[in-house]
Amino acid sequence: MRGSIASVCRALRAAMPPSWLPLRRAQLAWLSVALCLTLAGCKKSDPTGATPTGKLDNGTTITMWTRAATSAQSQLLVDAYNASHENKVQLTVIPTDNYAQKVATAAGGNALPDLFAADVIFAPNYTSKNLYLDITERIAALPFKDKLAPSHIQLGTYKGKRYAVPHTIDLSVIFWNKDLYTKAGLDPEKGPRTLAELGEQARKVQTLGGEINGTTEGGNCGGCGVFTLWPSVWAAGGEVMNAEGTVATLDSPAVKSVLSIWRQLYADGVAQPGSKDEQGPTWVGRFLSGKVGVAPMPSTTLALMDKAGLHVGVAPISGPDGGESTFVGGDVIGISSTSSKPDAAWNFLEWTLSETTQVQIMAKNKDLLLRTDLAENAFSSADPRMVTSLKVLAKGKTPYALNFNQTFNDPQGPWLATMRGALFGPDLEAALAQGNAKVTASLSPR
Amino acid sequence: MIGADVSVPAVIPSAPARAVRRDRRVLSGAAYVTPTALMVGVFFLVPLGLMLWMSVHDWPLLGPSTFNAPRNYTGIVDNALFIDAVWFTVEYTLIISVLLFAAAFGLALLVQQRRPGIAFFRTAFFLPGAVGFAAASLLFYGLLSRDLGPLNPILSSLGIIDKPVSWVSGSPGLALGSSVGLVLWRFTGVNMLILLTGLQAIPTDLYEAAKMDGAGRWQQFWSITLPLLRPTIALVLILITTGSLLAFDQFFILTNGGPDNSTTSIVMVIFREAFTRFDLGSAAAISVILLLALLVINMLQLRVMRRQSH
Amino acid sequence: MAIGKLVSRSSYYTTLSALAILFLFPLVWAAWAAVKPTPGSGQQLGYGIGNFIKLARYGQGLPTYVLNSVQVAALTVTGTLTVATLGGYAFARFRFPGRNLIFLATLAILMVPYPTLLIPLYVLLGWLGLQNSLLGLALVFTLFQLPFAVFIMRNSFEAVPTELDEAAMVDGCNSFAVLTRILLHAVRPGLITIGLFAFLASWNDFIGPLILISSPDKIPLPVAVVNMQQQVFGSIDYAALEAGVTLLALPCVVLFLILQRGYVQGFMSGSLHG
Repeated sequence: MRGSIASVCRALRAAMPPSWLPLRRAQLAWLSVALCLTLAGCKKSDPTGATPTGKLDNGTTITMWTRAATSAQSQLLVDAYNASHENKVQLTVIPTDNYAQKVATAAGGNALPDLFAADVIFAPNYTSKNLYLDITERIAALPFKDKLAPSHIQLGTYKGKRYAVPHTIDLSVIFWNKDLYTKAGLDPEKGPRTLAELGEQARKVQTLGGEINGTTEGGNCGGCGVFTLWPSVWAAGGEVMNAEGTVATLDSPAVKSVLSIWRQLYADGVAQPGSKDEQGPTWVGRFLSGKVGVAPMPSTTLALMDKAGLHVGVAPISGPDGGESTFVGGDVIGISSTSSKPDAAWNFLEWTLSETTQVQIMAKNKDLLLRTDLAENAFSSADPRMVTSLKVLAKGKTPYALNFNQTFNDPQGPWLATMRGALFGPDLEAALAQGNAKVTASLSPR
Repeated sequence: MIGADVSVPAVIPSAPARAVRRDRRVLSGAAYVTPTALMVGVFFLVPLGLMLWMSVHDWPLLGPSTFNAPRNYTGIVDNALFIDAVWFTVEYTLIISVLLFAAAFGLALLVQQRRPGIAFFRTAFFLPGAVGFAAASLLFYGLLSRDLGPLNPILSSLGIIDKPVSWVSGSPGLALGSSVGLVLWRFTGVNMLILLTGLQAIPTDLYEAAKMDGAGRWQQFWSITLPLLRPTIALVLILITTGSLLAFDQFFILTNGGPDNSTTSIVMVIFREAFTRFDLGSAAAISVILLLALLVINMLQLRVMRRQSH
Repeated sequence: MAIGKLVSRSSYYTTLSALAILFLFPLVWAAWAAVKPTPGSGQQLGYGIGNFIKLARYGQGLPTYVLNSVQVAALTVTGTLTVATLGGYAFARFRFPGRNLIFLATLAILMVPYPTLLIPLYVLLGWLGLQNSLLGLALVFTLFQLPFAVFIMRNSFEAVPTELDEAAMVDGCNSFAVLTRILLHAVRPGLITIGLFAFLASWNDFIGPLILISSPDKIPLPVAVVNMQQQVFGSIDYAALEAGVTLLALPCVVLFLILQRGYVQGFMSGSLHG
């Protein structure tokens, strides 16, 4: 390759007539040499993305997909990037429930966009199927490479190679409605420190009657369940499955203890009865309506709560008797392995992780930052609720499983049936025992 | 060569000339049927074979495939979701077959006579059939919703219910009932039209003759209408059972297979195997089984109908 | 006697009217819900098209989805009319080897469940380079129209007396001219019927594009409107949903009402005599 470029350059130099430009022959020779070297240099970028630092901001159009649940953050980033760069990102928002399917059918049909975000718990599935480009070297070239949200990076790693960077962080935390607490005679500045306490405070709010309820859940939503119930199990020192994500331990004492508290709340009508059928689309809207006292919710809804005019407090999710934990969710994002514009795409990704972007755009929007070195910044430190979230981030987990979606998120998957059996069925222990076997079967690789 | 110019002489052509004309006709016919043959060959026969081929392979959505017979088929037996779906789909088919046929037949009998204004009613009953089924499912999704649906306000103002009912996800019975209601609304008119066509094809002088022989209305119905309507009834029943066994839209859109997988149909399971579990081989195997089951059921129905007519 | 007849006639019409209300009510409600004031929707005060405006801005923009649906429908109707007319003509008027076989194979499509064939079709279209394309989708739709369409057209052609053909051929027409100049006019009710069915099927189908189309900018209207069930974070905009339903249903209802006369004729000329 290099030899042929050199020979072309030699031929060019030899072919140029002396009278062609009003330049002396020597100057012309240097010019052509410089031109050749530049051309040779540009040829090095290849579509496999092996170039660690190749990046382009030259007016390329980059296509990007994101989930509806993440669309607010993605849109914020895309709008800001497009306003300040030559490249333009074309963002498409895909319904959350269909997202995994859409990505799969697009991959099967070779129609993936340049960039796509993904729920962090789906990352193992995508990386194992080579949907993302290997960006190990690109990440290694970042000055803050060790400061990126660890659980996101871990889930985007497959067989030692890195395929994705964090895009959003969404923690599950307890929100409580301070106005309702005041009305119910509770201290509006003191949220629940244990799950048992959550129950008590919810019961107090329930006494307000009318349309007010103590708490709510996504009763028919598998993804909501794992997000809000598992941290209580972890806070109690328990586990829901093994580290490889192949064997479930849902019949353990910690799980039983957590689910029986919630079962009681439903049985006593303290949990919104309608939320038993909640499949997910209107889950957040229930608390946003201001009619619920206290509930575990995504941390990313903080901005929405403020916009809705609610006065909320934030507390970490706790176990039955104490402890703190959270489900470190959110999205990762990567370049699709079939993209023809990896350098332009990386330009956007690198920009999203930069300090200015993270602090000035994401922190200002009350979002958690993707870099541990920026956690304490002007905006986040000013809001005590964000400080709470940050503190519990360190105690949180992102569970790993290759078959996460079909086991835990899928409405026809075994987890939802197990959860509902435990919460609403006749026998909690039996539901967990039987369900655990089905969940393990679903987790094991084919 | 499509229809080459043939000038026909005034006298009957000789045998060789007729042969030439016959050959040209054969070629023309073959040419006219070629688009049909191509479509059927490429987009029907090939995928049919491909379905069988895929069903004996481990065929992931992304990645290479490996031969694994008969594991896709034996795996079906362990697939609890599929077993439940089969029971549900069969139960659902029986319910719909009875109710939908009765409704369509009843309406057809009601509107078969040429009375003034009958055309309006026939159109009114058929009009839901003009709406696509996915659109109809969405329509009912809003109609039965707690936020916008008129059903709860109307029923509670009539005093029939005392608190809002979750029609679509409150219980397995309610979810099934909502789906049945949707299907009845959408398909009664269509099947009514088919039965109507059959009813109107029965010559009226048969009824005249029977009346003169002293036969009452019921007698006429049993001995004239039903026997002569048999092929039409067979067609309608086959359409209804086939459609019910293949139900997808209403359960995907209206009930999402719930609550608790109580309204998950066989085709929903196929869809999930392919696009949630990324297991195309297993999806193909279930498809083959569904195909065979439908063939058998339709053959049986045709045979039963034919035997009875003797 | 006369009063008895009056009572039975009025009770007959009462029953019919009650049933008609039952059948028409959901359609009327959908149209009303799309334009009535609903808190939290695009149309909050008074009646108007606010929900449709909100719908227009949804996702890639309503015009994109409508255009996709129109394209697929146009391709499907064209394909069905062409293939079925030529095929029906062949089966009705010509003798050639494989005639019965091809006809049976075409009808056999009815025996194979549509959703099951979509999985291998998904793979096949990928091999042909037609994956994620509106053309590929239209070809699949056309295929599934063929049993009904070819059957109807064959019966329609058979119903035309062969004297017409022979008279035309005496005048010097070849078989193609016979088809285009004479027979097409005679089988027009059949053409209208199969054209209408092809349009309705391709405009309304849901599971086909759900599986075969993956780009968000290529999905037709039914898939786009169903996606709205989960779009807005925290709430479902039922009013916009019903606006989408109205948009989906309107062309079909209008077309059916306009073509009603031709349609019923077509159904009966190609009907169950065979």
